[in-house]
Amino acid sequence: MKRGLQSLIECAPISDGRSADRRMRTAISRAKKSEEFSQQQGFDRAIAKLVRSTPVPGEIKEWFANEPMAQGTRRSWKTTASHPAVLAIAIALAVIGFITWLKFDEQIHTWAGESIARKLLTVASATRPSQFEPVDTEAGTLGDLFLMKHRLEHYDVPLEFARVRTIGARVFDDEDAGRVAHIGTAEKRMQFFLFPAQRDAKTGQPEEFAGWRFIEQEGWTGAVHARQGVLFMAAVRGPKKELAHYVKE
Amino acid sequence: MTGDEAQSRQIFQDTVREAAFLAANGEPPADRYWFFREARWRCLAAAAKTLQPEISSNQTAEISKQAPEQIAQLEPAQLAVWMSAAPEPQRSVLALYYLDEFSYRELLAITGLKLNELSTALAAGRREFQAWLNATAPAQIE
Repeated sequence: MKRGLQSLIECAPISDGRSADRRMRTAISRAKKSEEFSQQQGFDRAIAKLVRSTPVPGEIKEWFANEPMAQGTRRSWKTTASHPAVLAIAIALAVIGFITWLKFDEQIHTWAGESIARKLLTVASATRPSQFEPVDTEAGTLGDLFLMKHRLEHYDVPLEFARVRTIGARVFDDEDAGRVAHIGTAEKRMQFFLFPAQRDAKTGQPEEFAGWRFIEQEGWTGAVHARQGVLFMAAVRGPKKELAHYVKE
Repeated sequence: MTGDEAQSRQIFQDTVREAAFLAANGEPPADRYWFFREARWRCLAAAAKTLQPEISSNQTAEISKQAPEQIAQLEPAQLAVWMSAAPEPQRSVLALYYLDEFSYRELLAITGLKLNELSTALAAGRREFQAWLNATAPAQIE
């Protein structure tokens, strides 16, 4: 017989009437034919009979007159709920639930390219006008420059910002973003970034989104727009309202 | 558990008194096992203050066919003295098991033992008791 079943047999109920779970019933049904088990049962029953014959003093019997007390009382749900262990578990579950909800909410509101946009906001805060190659023109015309000089297709400034006067532009490589076109402007000292949209790992298609998405970081705000596989970000120092004149949410 | 009637009575009364005290404070024992757990701990605490049973390899014998007849010759007090001399946790296991009140799962819950520990204690207890029986109440030769 297996060791587990043998262990159960050693603990087999003495009285037949005592309820046994399925494992115990299985173990007993297998052991019933063996002589050892019948001897064990006879042995156990004889001892149990001897135990039952132990005289109980009268004063002890009186204590058992109040049977319900000996059975114990069920705790109300209020008492159970106010138990420190239950409270601690409830608080822990609430904290875990809140963090999970925060993470879920964060995932839902995350869009493709957000992490790169945030990185480029940091670049914007550290960029000096002298780092740009001087170009005095309207931002909307720089798409041709990027195509002709740097072979960057669809690096076009959206219409909302096409009339903004530029002070300079540059193109640089970023290990995360790839080829980035960076434009400095005179208006509100805004900076524009154009960089490739992230591509779906399965289909290879650029991951885009509709409309404008906003990010705020360390006093800077970025408004991001996706078009033809290229993301455009207008970055400005200050709150979102600084860009309200150009784009609507 | 104690092998001493007066001490057992004192432990019983203390246990019931504790239950009454808890009930009066609005925290009555959750179930009837509480009484057995509480009484067991009180017995162990009382036993710890007295002479401890020797930890030695007791003699053992296979369970005999004549065991029921041998046991029938005993007085309950003799059984109580033998059980109270057993080492823990075997003593608690034997005392609770032979009350014939609990399933093995309930025994595990009350004693806090694992199944293999419970079964080992019971099996060893039976063999040791049989050896003691053979010396105390020898079987009639057929």
